[in-house]
Amino acid sequence: MKKIFYISSVLLVLLASMQGCKKEFLDTNPSNAVSPNVIFADAPSALVALNGIYRWQYSFFTNHGNFGQKSFDMVSDLMGEDMTVHSAGYGWFNTDYRYTAQLTAVDASRSERMWYFYYRVIDNANGILDNIDKATGDQNIKDNVKGQALGLRAYAYLNLISFFQQTYKGSESQPGVPLYTTRTTVGKARGTVQDVYTQIVKDLTEAETLLTGKTRAHISNIDVRVVQGLRARTALFMEDWSTAATYANKVRTGKTLMSVAQYGQGFSKMSDGNPEWLWGSEIITDQATIYASFYSHIDITNSGYAALGTQKKITKALYDKIPTGDVRKTVFRTPGTGSGANVDYNQNKIRVPVAASWAADYLYMRVAEFYLIEAEALARQGQDAPARTILDALGKARYASYSAGTLTGTALLDEILLQRKIELWGEGFGLFDVKRLKKGLNRPTGTGNFGGTSSLDPFTYTLPAGDPKFLMRIPQQEIDANGEIGPNDQNPQ
Amino acid sequence: MVLIALCFSCIMLFAQKTITGKVTDDKGNPIPNASVIVQGSRVGTTTKSDGTFTINAPANAKSLIISSIGSEEKVIAISSGNFNVQLETATQDLSEVVVQVPYGTVKKAQFTGSEGTISAKTLEKQQQTSVTKMLEGLVPGIIATNGGGTPGSSASVLIRGVGSVSSSSSPLYVLNGVPYDGSIAALSTDEIETVTVLKDAAAAALYGSRAANGVIMITTKTGKKGSNRTSVSIRNGWMSRGIPEYDRVSIPDYYELYWEAIKNGQQYGPAQSSAAVAGAYASANVAGINGLVYNAYNVAAGQLIDPTTGKISGSAQLLYNDSWEDALYRSAGRQNINVNFSGGNDKTTHFISMGYLNEDGIVKFSGYKRYNGRVDIKTSATKWLNAGLNIDGSLAENNNVPSGGTATTNPFYYTRQMGPIYPVWQRDASGNKIVDPATGDYALDWGVATQMGARPYAPNSNLLGSLALDDRGSKVFNGNANAFMEVLFLKDFSFKTTLGATYWNSFGTTYQNSQFGDAQNVSGRSTKSGSRQFSKTFNQVLSYNKTFLTNHNIRALVGHESYDLITSSVSATKVTFPFPGTSELDNAATIEGAGSSTDVRKIEGYFSNINYDYKGKYMASASFRRDGTSRFFVDNRWGNFYSFGVGWKISAENFMENVNWVDDLKFRASYGEQGNEAISAWYAWQPLYGLGWNNALTPGGLAGSPANPELVWEGNKTTNIGIDFTIFKRRLQGTIEVFNRVSNNLLFDEPLPGSTGNLSITRNIGVMFNRGIEISLGYNVIQSRLIDWRVDVNFTKFKNEITKMPELTPTVVSGTKQLKVGQGIYDFWLREFAGVDAATGEALYYKDVLDTDGKTVLSRELTPIFTQATFAYHGSALPDFSGGVTNSLRVGSFDLSFLLVYSYGGKFLDGNYQSLMHRGNSFGTHWHTDILNRWQKPGDITNVPRIDQVLATNEGTSTRYLFDGSFLNVKNITLSYNLPKTALSSLKGAISSLQIFANVDNAHLFTTHKGMDPQRAFTGTSDWSYTPFRTFTLGLNLGL
Repeated sequence: MKKIFYISSVLLVLLASMQGCKKEFLDTNPSNAVSPNVIFADAPSALVALNGIYRWQYSFFTNHGNFGQKSFDMVSDLMGEDMTVHSAGYGWFNTDYRYTAQLTAVDASRSERMWYFYYRVIDNANGILDNIDKATGDQNIKDNVKGQALGLRAYAYLNLISFFQQTYKGSESQPGVPLYTTRTTVGKARGTVQDVYTQIVKDLTEAETLLTGKTRAHISNIDVRVVQGLRARTALFMEDWSTAATYANKVRTGKTLMSVAQYGQGFSKMSDGNPEWLWGSEIITDQATIYASFYSHIDITNSGYAALGTQKKITKALYDKIPTGDVRKTVFRTPGTGSGANVDYNQNKIRVPVAASWAADYLYMRVAEFYLIEAEALARQGQDAPARTILDALGKARYASYSAGTLTGTALLDEILLQRKIELWGEGFGLFDVKRLKKGLNRPTGTGNFGGTSSLDPFTYTLPAGDPKFLMRIPQQEIDANGEIGPNDQNPQ
Repeated sequence: MVLIALCFSCIMLFAQKTITGKVTDDKGNPIPNASVIVQGSRVGTTTKSDGTFTINAPANAKSLIISSIGSEEKVIAISSGNFNVQLETATQDLSEVVVQVPYGTVKKAQFTGSEGTISAKTLEKQQQTSVTKMLEGLVPGIIATNGGGTPGSSASVLIRGVGSVSSSSSPLYVLNGVPYDGSIAALSTDEIETVTVLKDAAAAALYGSRAANGVIMITTKTGKKGSNRTSVSIRNGWMSRGIPEYDRVSIPDYYELYWEAIKNGQQYGPAQSSAAVAGAYASANVAGINGLVYNAYNVAAGQLIDPTTGKISGSAQLLYNDSWEDALYRSAGRQNINVNFSGGNDKTTHFISMGYLNEDGIVKFSGYKRYNGRVDIKTSATKWLNAGLNIDGSLAENNNVPSGGTATTNPFYYTRQMGPIYPVWQRDASGNKIVDPATGDYALDWGVATQMGARPYAPNSNLLGSLALDDRGSKVFNGNANAFMEVLFLKDFSFKTTLGATYWNSFGTTYQNSQFGDAQNVSGRSTKSGSRQFSKTFNQVLSYNKTFLTNHNIRALVGHESYDLITSSVSATKVTFPFPGTSELDNAATIEGAGSSTDVRKIEGYFSNINYDYKGKYMASASFRRDGTSRFFVDNRWGNFYSFGVGWKISAENFMENVNWVDDLKFRASYGEQGNEAISAWYAWQPLYGLGWNNALTPGGLAGSPANPELVWEGNKTTNIGIDFTIFKRRLQGTIEVFNRVSNNLLFDEPLPGSTGNLSITRNIGVMFNRGIEISLGYNVIQSRLIDWRVDVNFTKFKNEITKMPELTPTVVSGTKQLKVGQGIYDFWLREFAGVDAATGEALYYKDVLDTDGKTVLSRELTPIFTQATFAYHGSALPDFSGGVTNSLRVGSFDLSFLLVYSYGGKFLDGNYQSLMHRGNSFGTHWHTDILNRWQKPGDITNVPRIDQVLATNEGTSTRYLFDGSFLNVKNITLSYNLPKTALSSLKGAISSLQIFANVDNAHLFTTHKGMDPQRAFTGTSDWSYTPFRTFTLGLNLGL
C-alpha cells in the first residue's frame, strides 16, 4: 500500500510538471518584428514604417551591384553618353555599360532587381496608405506620414516607368507598369504609360497639399519641396513645359546654390552645410554597405571596385567642353596627370568625405537641377531671356566668367542641355535624358572617349531614338507569376 | 608489434597433462576445425573432422576456451572432467536482434516497419568526423551528398527521395531517443553503438510531427553488466584532395587564346576589322593594360604574340610559372584518439568516453579540432525505479576559409579561376622573386598597379597572404544531457519520463586583416559573433506490456512530449585597428555594426501506440500522434498522424516446416501519415513588419513576407511492403521492399508577381510522390575457421514526380529546374545546346517553331541567339538507381573490407566547368583544356564555339555543361589484423583484444568527367565548394 502511494505521488508530480499543457505554450513571437497593429497603432509609430522605406533606398541586396537608388542612378549614367569605364575590374556594371545587362530578365538580373526594388517601395508605401487613416494621434503627423508615402510611391513609379518604357511623350498608350494603390498579393496588368503618369501626378498633387507647411525630421524625408521637384521632373518627361517651369521655380525659390568650394567637396555629406541638398540619405558608419555601395563603384578613395579597375571617367568630349577655370573641370583628373588608380579623366566629383570610412551620404535631388529644368522649360516655350538669366545664375556660381551670352532658340537649348550634362554628371540623369531627348544614343569615340585602348570597350556606340535596347525587360518571374502579364507583354528586343 | 613479441617471450615450462574430448553442435553433429585453447596460455589446437581433439595442457591450467565460427564460444573448467562439448549455434536469428524504435526498442522479428541498422563494427572502419558521411551505401534508400571537404563538416542525407518542395526534406535526427537539433559533427563516432534509419510510417510515425522525411536514430554505447572493459583507439591519418583539379591550359596557350579572343572580337564584332588589323590590335593589347596586363615573358608586351600567326614569339622565354594550387593546397594530417571505459554490476552500468580529434584542412589555414567526452550511467535504484543519465559535451575549434560562391576570398574559386600567368610571388623584369625588405621573405604579388600591374582577375588580393593574416574561426561547444526516470508498477506497467537538453554555443571571429586586401583601407575589420541554441525535449510515457494466454503479446504506450528551442545571437563589427595581429574589438576604434536577436520555436505532441503479436507469428501495430506547432496559426496548428502495420512470419507456419532451404521468411506491410512543418520561416502565419531597417538614427521597419494564417501541416502518406528472408542455411539474407511516399498539402513557396512587392508566399499546395524499390542482400560466400567472406549489396531505385501544382503558377522555374506536373523536383530545365555553326563558329541552340496559336510546336530550328533558345527538360539530377557494395573478407587474423558506393543516371550541371569555358570575355580567368578544341576557321567541325571577346551574351547555362553524374566511389578500404586469441590469452588477460589497421576513405571516385564533384548537391549543381578529401589512416584498437 505504501509503495502504491509512493508511485502515485511520483506520477502525480510528473504529470503536473508536463509543460506545454497550457494553451499558450505554442504561441511564439519574433524578437525583431512586430505586427501591423503595432506599427500603425498611432501616427508616431507609423513613422517607423516610413523610415523603413527610406532605409530600403540605400540598402544592399542580392549582390554587390545592388545598393538601392544609387545603383540605378549609376546604371542610368553608364547607359548614357558621358561616363566611360576604365577597365573590366571585377566586372560589376560592365554589362550595363555594354547595353547587355538589360537584355536578360532572369532572377537577380538588373531588370528583375530594379523591378523588385521599386515595387517594394510601392508595396510598403501602400501599406502605410492602407492604414494611416485608421491610426490615432495628431492629424498633422498623420498628414505628414501620408504625404511622404504618396511622394515615395510617385518617385518609385516615375523611376519604374522611365526604365521600363520609352519616355512619356509619344508612348502614352504604350504598355506601362502594373499599378497598385493598395497592398495585395494578386498581380495586375501593365496598363498604359498614361495610367502610370496619371497616378504619379495624382499622388504628387495630393502629397503637395498634405506636406505644405509641414517640417521634416531629416533630409532623407520627402518634404513639399521634394514633391515639387518630383513634379517638375515628371512634367519634363511629359513635356508639359509650363508645369515644369512653375514647379522647378517653386523648388529653387528660397534656396541658394552651393559655392565653388562646396562643388569640390564630394557630394557626400548632407551635414556639411551645402545649401543645395534637397533630398538624400544620410549613411552612418554601421549602415554603410562598404564594397556594395555607390562609393565603392564610383570613387577610388577607398580602394573599392572603382579603384580596382572600374574607374568611372568623364568622356574627353564633355571634358573638353568645360572651360578651364570652371570648378566642374577640376573634379576630373586632368589628362596626362593620371597616376595609380587616379587615371586620366577619372571622376573625383563624387567621393567619400573621409578616406578610410564608408560613411558617405547619397544625394537624390539638389537645387541646380531645377535651375536647369526651369531654364529648359522656359527656353522650350520661347522665353529665351528669362531662360538665359537662370542659366547664367547657375553658370556663374561655378565659373565666374560664365555667360550664356545672347543665345537663342536651338542654340540656347543646346547650351542648357550641355550645362545639364556638365552640372549633373554622375548623378543619374544619363539614360533618362537620352530617352527623353529622342536623339538616340550617340557616344563619342576615340582616345579618351568610348572604346580605344585606354578604356573598356562598350561595344555599343550608337542606338537610334526609341530603340528597344533602352528598355529594361519585364522580369521573367513577373511573367510567370502574374496571371495578367504573359510572354506577349514583354518589352520588345 | 612489441606486444606480439612479448607474447612469444611468455612461454613458460610447466608440467603438462593431456586432455581429449569432442566438440559437437546443438544437434550433436561433430564440429571440425573448432579452436581449443588453454585459457591464460597460448597452448591450443583444433578439432579433427570427427570433432575430437587432444591437447597437452599445463598442470596449472584451469579451463579451456572452445570456439568455432558460427557458434557461441564456451569456457570449460578442466576440473569438470567433461570434455564432450556442445556449442550453441550463434544467433544470427532475426528473433534476437533488437531494433531501436521511437520510445523504446523492439525485437526485429516482431517489427512491422522498415528500418536499416548500422552497427559500431561497420562504422568504425570509416574515418569520418561526422556520422552523416558514413551512411550512404550501407542502408538502402539513402542518398547523400559528400558534404564537401571542410574540416568537421557533415553530409546531407535524403531517405527515400525528396519529401517536400519548400519545407525541409532532411530526416529527423534522434539521439538516444530524443529528437536532436545539436551538431552532428560534435558527436564522436567512436561513441556510437548503432545508427538506425527508420524509413516507413510504421517505423517512424510515433515521431509523427517531424518524421515525414524518415528518422535517423543515433544510439550511443552503454556499459554491460559484468563486463568491465577499457578500449583505446589511436588513429593517424593523411589527407589529400579526393577530386582532382580540372585540366587547364598552359601559359603559352593562355596568351595565344586570349589573343585569338581579342582578334575575333575585332574581326567579327562591330569593328569588322580585317584579320590583319584585328591581329595587330590583339597583339598590341593582349598583354597590355586593356588585356591580360601581365607579361610572363622576357619580350615587350606588344611583341609577345606574332600578329599574323597568333603564336608566342619564337624568342620569348617564360620567366616564371607559379601554381596557386601548390601554394594553397597541402597534404594535411588527421589524428583521432578515443579512450573509453565501460562495465557494470547487477544494478548499475556505466560508459565513460573521452576523445580528441584533429583534422587539418587540405587547404592551408583551415582545420578542425574537437575534444569530447561522454558519460552514460544507468541504475536500478529499487526494484521499481530505474534512472539514468547520458551526458556529453564537445569543444570544437574551427578554422575556416571561405568556400562556395564567387567571392575572391574563396580559395576554391580563386585557385581554379586565376589565369596561369599571374604569379603568387612578385617578379622583377627578369622574372626573379623580390625580397620584401620588411619581412625578409619573398614578396607576394597582390595584383595592384604598384606591383606588377592591376591584375584583371581579383586585383588587390593574394590569398596566400591574406588568409594567413585573416581569422575566420569559431569555438563551438555542443552539449547534451538526457536524463530519465522509470517507475515499474502493477506488474505490467511502467512510467518513464525523459528530459533531453541540448546546448550549442558558438563564438565566431571574422577578421579581415589591416595590411592587405578587403579591409586594408579601413585598417582591418573584425566581427565577433556569439550564437547559442538551447532546446529541451520533455516526455512522459506510460507503457503496458502483457502476455495473455501464453501466446498473445501486447505492448502499448501513451505519452506526451513537448519541445522548445530558443536561439539567440549577438554580433558586433569594428574597424580601424592600430596594429595588426589582433582581432579583438577593444582595440578597434570605429563601430561598424552591432545587433542581436532571439527566436523561439515549439512543438507539443500526444501519442499512443499498440503492438500485438500471436506467438511471434502474426503481428499488428498501430500508432496515433497529435502534434501542435508554433509555426502555424492557433486554429490550424494541430495535425493528426497515424500508422498501421502488419507482419506475418511465414517461416513459423507449419506448412513451411519441410521447406528446409528457408530459415526465416517474413512479410510486412504498413501505411501511415507523418507530418512536416519545417519551413524556414518560424512565424509564417503572422503578418509582420521586420525591424532594424533604421534610417540613420531613426528606427525603421519594412513589411515582411505575406502572412498565411491558413498554413497547415504537410502530410506524408507512406505505404511500405516488404519481405525479409534468410535462406540456404543462413547463407543468404535479404530484404526487398517497395514504397510509395505521397506528400500532400505540400508547403510550397508559391511565386508571387514581383510587382506586388513580394516574391513568394508559403501555401499548402501541391502533391508529390516518391515511389521505389529497395533491395538488400547479404551473402556469406565462405564461412570457415580460416576464411570468412561476406558480400552485402544494396540497391535503391525511386521515382520522384509532382502530381499537383498551384493553379495560378502551374510551372515554377527555380534556378535550373522547373516544377511542373508530371516532372520530378530536380528535373533540369535548360536550353539545349546544338553544337557549333561550322561556318561562323557561333554556338547554336534549338528553338521551337510555334504555330500561330503560340503553343503547338511545328518544328525545331537552330538559332545562334541564346535568349531565343527554347527551354526543355533534360533529365533529373536524381539517380536512376544507387546503392552500395560491402565486401568483408577475413583470412585468419586479417580482415579486408571495402565499401563501394554507386549512383547511376543522375545528371550534373557543372557550373565550375562552364566558368572555365568562357569566350575570353573576362580577362584574367583561366580556361579548361577543352577550349583548345574551339572553332578557329570556317569549316571547323567542333562543339566548342569561337572564342570572342565581344560576343559575350550568346552563351549561358545550357545542356552544353550538363554531364552524366553517374559515379562509383571507393568509399572505404580497410585492412586490419587482429591479434589471435592464442596470442592474447598468453597475456593472462592484460589485453583482451588488439587490432591494428590501415584504411583509405574516399580512395577513388570514378566519374564521367575529371574535376567534377557529382555529390556536391542533390540538385546536381556545383559551387566552387571545398574539395572533398581522401584520407589514409593507420590505427590501433586496444581492449583491456
